[in-house]
Amino acid sequence: MEALGNFLPQVWFAILALFLFLYVMLDGFDLGVGILSLTTSNEERRGILMTSLSNVWDANETWLVLMGGALFGAFPLAYATILNALYIPIFAMIFGLVFRAVAFEFREHSEQKLFWNVAFGAGSFLAALGQGFALGSVLTGISVDKAGHFIGTTWDWFNWHSVLVALTLIQGYVLIGSTYLIWKTDGELQTTHYRTAKIAALTTLIGAILITITTPVLSENARTRLFHQPEIYIFALIPILGVLLIWQLFKSLNREEERKPFIWTILLFLLTFIGLALVVFPYVIPPQITIYQAAASPSALVFMLIFIGFLIPIMLFYNIYQYVVFRGKVTGGHYDG
Amino acid sequence: MDFLSNTVVLSRMQFALTAIFHMLWPVLTTGMGIYLVIVEGMWLKTRNPVYYHHARFWAKLYVLNFGIGVASGIPMEFQFGTNWAPFSEATGDFFGSILGFESAMAFMLEAGFLGIMLFGWGRVHPYIHYLATIMVAFGANLSTFWILVANSWLQSPTGGSMVNGKFIVSDYFQAILNPFMLNSVLHMFFATLETSLFVIGGISAWYILKRRNVAFFSKSLKIALATAIVVAPLQIWIGHLSGEQVWHYQPTKLAAMEAQWESIPAGKPASWSIVALPNDKAQKNDWELSVPNALGYILEFKPELSRPLRGLKEWKREDRPHLVTLVFYSFRTMVGIGFFFAGLMLFSVLQWLRGKLSPENISEQRWLLRAWILAAPLGYIAVESGWIVRCVGRQPWSVYGLIRTADSASNVPASNVLTSLLLFAGVYSFLLFCTLFFGNRILRKGPNLDLPVPSLENQPAVEVELAEHIPDRRPVETQSEQQ
Repeated sequence: MEALGNFLPQVWFAILALFLFLYVMLDGFDLGVGILSLTTSNEERRGILMTSLSNVWDANETWLVLMGGALFGAFPLAYATILNALYIPIFAMIFGLVFRAVAFEFREHSEQKLFWNVAFGAGSFLAALGQGFALGSVLTGISVDKAGHFIGTTWDWFNWHSVLVALTLIQGYVLIGSTYLIWKTDGELQTTHYRTAKIAALTTLIGAILITITTPVLSENARTRLFHQPEIYIFALIPILGVLLIWQLFKSLNREEERKPFIWTILLFLLTFIGLALVVFPYVIPPQITIYQAAASPSALVFMLIFIGFLIPIMLFYNIYQYVVFRGKVTGGHYDG
Repeated sequence: MDFLSNTVVLSRMQFALTAIFHMLWPVLTTGMGIYLVIVEGMWLKTRNPVYYHHARFWAKLYVLNFGIGVASGIPMEFQFGTNWAPFSEATGDFFGSILGFESAMAFMLEAGFLGIMLFGWGRVHPYIHYLATIMVAFGANLSTFWILVANSWLQSPTGGSMVNGKFIVSDYFQAILNPFMLNSVLHMFFATLETSLFVIGGISAWYILKRRNVAFFSKSLKIALATAIVVAPLQIWIGHLSGEQVWHYQPTKLAAMEAQWESIPAGKPASWSIVALPNDKAQKNDWELSVPNALGYILEFKPELSRPLRGLKEWKREDRPHLVTLVFYSFRTMVGIGFFFAGLMLFSVLQWLRGKLSPENISEQRWLLRAWILAAPLGYIAVESGWIVRCVGRQPWSVYGLIRTADSASNVPASNVLTSLLLFAGVYSFLLFCTLFFGNRILRKGPNLDLPVPSLENQPAVEVELAEHIPDRRPVETQSEQQ
């Protein structure tokens, strides 16, 4: 029973990590494209940018909703405490996502394109910022009492480390957004995003290095995890693989390849994600509450596994199908500006 | 202004505000999804292009509402954590799992096929497109199912018990199949459908009254009317069954719905107040207009009740709802609208049978058409009133009889909640304004009957379409109009 009691929370940790990764990857490029749209002054280009997302943003965002629901069911304590502690960044994200979402439809009908352009870009930026602060404060740690209830203050999430994480996440979103646009567009628009991808790759790299150095300094949990044998060998692999991937990414960008930059970026995201998951595990509210303490009862976890677990391949299937139907380049919206 | 520093009150206000606003959008898209399945299916069956144009025209209103529904729904899910952390921790085993199911089964299905439904015309075979339309409608209604499972469990929690302040589930199927579940799901399913039918009928009536595309819109009016023949009476019957259940499982709510302060023993005639001025402090109605024996007829179709009806005074003040006036009038509003819909349906059917709804005669039915236009917003009001009865009447409990609302709220500074509450009030009002503004614009533009109809034969399969295509972000007609 002990083994099963530990196994189920681990399975749910892995499933939630998968949902979160899919969200960060998929809505990551949506938000990245949104942030990039702020730098475009050309109405036609902005139309193409939004058209490239119009059929996928909703499904991409739903991974976040799914992650939220599954976290609520599988780790109720973590859901309650983390969201309670992150009141301001979560609502910043929500308001950002609201404006990003409605901009797609309202911009179509409105003559005030500028207003909805700003709503789209600034909404994407605000959502990314909120997510960055949320990630940052989970990495730094959330103050809780013995029962796992939040005992910190309203502004705990705001510190130099979470600022660093938030800025890096935004760079990462811009990177994946740029490589997505390289894949989905051509011509001048594509050229622009080869350039933004290179800049974003560089700034993301700098941010990632800083976070890798500072997190163990700040967090005792991360320190003990990282410098413990034999895990240290796995952790040592991650930066090595990271350097290799970055090198491949730059190479493909210099060769002006169309799909590979996006693929290398996804792999970079995946690698970073595995690294972060390994640092956090087995905690779900670092630095005190483990997945075992926060987990719902075993019967709830089994019940959810039956209903949600078997749907994962089906969900992946029809999501991929949607990308297949809308494959190919976006050469123009109908936007005439 | 004490409530401005009371986190619980502010959190309740925020939840009520976001729920009331959010409901406005999915209530239409959930029901209209079924209508779109009907018209697209009729197109595939009859190959009559009129049905294709209906599918395209109403989908414009659909997509306008859909995006806002998605956007305004996200705060609903996250608020349980931000503002109701103790509640989430206590109920996560069941309530959280159900929200997880809703996302995995319903939201994802809806979102995964929405792109194809909206922008896939001409890119996939019409049958695949039809499948996408069905999946979107199915996903939306599946989410009605799960959210009503979750909410009806809050009304009549079964399948487990409270252990150390947490609800431990002993039998998941018993918790899902809680006493309120079936009626609640059906009541809400028919509510979204009925609201949408009268919106579609009302908009059609508006066009007919303006003598624009009369033949086209008399078709949608008739489809809405024909569906309402089944839906409107059934909804009243399910509503009646729900009332009986409330009487049995939530006596405090029933007493509040009827502003009944004193108990009525079994076997005694039960009079019913049509209107009243409930006074919560004095625990009586300052004024009321009652009909003798009517409450007996309403609940059991006979003058006396077979079981006692317990008045609000039987409970301690802290164990019963206090916004009695709100619950009392919300209930009457909902019921009144339900009967108005049924009456309008009956009268319209009568005119239909007399041949007065044929495209040649229908525009003469000016008062009938005006009544349909009047009916268009009423479904929304009925749905909102029903939810107010359901959730305000449940107070002081968040989970009836088990967890109090006052113990459910997060310990967040009141100023934070006040800020987010005001932001929501501003943003959601603005979204509602935009929906009405742009919806009005879509309606004034009207349907485009020149849209090329995709052929069912020689439809290029997906494989033929390679790169270099332009996604039809919008239906083709807006492209030509804007050029």
